[in-house]
Amino acid sequence: MGTAICWFVNSVASAMEQEGQAIARGLRQRDPELLDRLIEQYQYRLLRYLLFLTGRKETAEDLFQETWLRVLERGRQYDGKWEFGAWLFAIARHLVIDLRKRKRLPEPLSGAGEDVQPLEAEATTDASAFELLARREEGERLAAALARLPAVYREALVLRFQEDLALEEIAAVVDAPLSTVKSRLYRGLEALRELLEGAGT
Amino acid sequence: MSEDVHKTAEHLLAGLKVEGISSAERKWLEAHLGSCARCAEYAAAVERAVASVRSVSIPPNPTLVRATQFRVRLRAQELREQESRMRGLWISCAFSWVLGALSAPLLWWGFQWVGRHMVLPDLVWQTAFVLWWVMPAAVAAAVLAGLRARAARENGIEESSRR
Repeated sequence: MGTAICWFVNSVASAMEQEGQAIARGLRQRDPELLDRLIEQYQYRLLRYLLFLTGRKETAEDLFQETWLRVLERGRQYDGKWEFGAWLFAIARHLVIDLRKRKRLPEPLSGAGEDVQPLEAEATTDASAFELLARREEGERLAAALARLPAVYREALVLRFQEDLALEEIAAVVDAPLSTVKSRLYRGLEALRELLEGAGT
Repeated sequence: MSEDVHKTAEHLLAGLKVEGISSAERKWLEAHLGSCARCAEYAAAVERAVASVRSVSIPPNPTLVRATQFRVRLRAQELREQESRMRGLWISCAFSWVLGALSAPLLWWGFQWVGRHMVLPDLVWQTAFVLWWVMPAAVAAAVLAGLRARAARENGIEESSRR
């Protein structure tokens, strides 16, 4: 059983590394087919991450395009050792920081902006009107709770629990030591729990 | 049950989600949760918090994806054209350098002959030779530096985003 699990884990790791190498090769050659596929594959994850960072749909969409242009231009810097998603998020994050420096944008998802888009809880298409309404309300409650979290905690939680990145990958994305990432996750999780408990009562 | 035990359980519950815990810690935690309603409620709250982050989604936007793919293809084409121009420039630079190196002795004799013919001090014709020989490389370097600076401005390159 243990051997089988080891074999499975090794196979998955090897497949991921091979995929990373294939992406690195394609990016070096600026392969348009590969870029089209990556844009489709990562559209939800990247846009969701940018929305969390900026809190503005229009800004997130602009940065979504800028991120892919940057991926095209800097593709040769990706070596395939990291998961592509982590590298992509690091680029997106730098663009958000640059934009905030240039335009003096407020703290992302501060909750004060009028155009902050409510994020939605996942919904299935066969839900009744009542269920959809309940889910929308739940989504708004979650978005409000997340919006009240400090940005660094929110970002760490999103990368860990939504994007399923490893702690080392998160540290690379946010350019912070591993201990800082862990501390942000512990504190963020505790803060979110308290916020949700408060909102639920 | 002491407050420290609850604190340990709470720390392990968060640790379980954040970085994982050892099997001994997991066994202890499971046993504790089975007998402590307060920590079991805390565990459910942590679970709800993690589930809330996981459950957030955004609606698809096919127009954005298509627009991005179009812009990326267009930029890829621009970059290919830019690279092709740069390749031409590099090749001509290399050719000119090789030609310059090969013709240096001839040029030296030529400048020497002119200098002696016009009765110029050695330093003058030797300086003229150096300037003549260095000029193409200096012009090419200036052009390359200018192009690089323009590309950096256009791409908004910043060292901070280099990984």
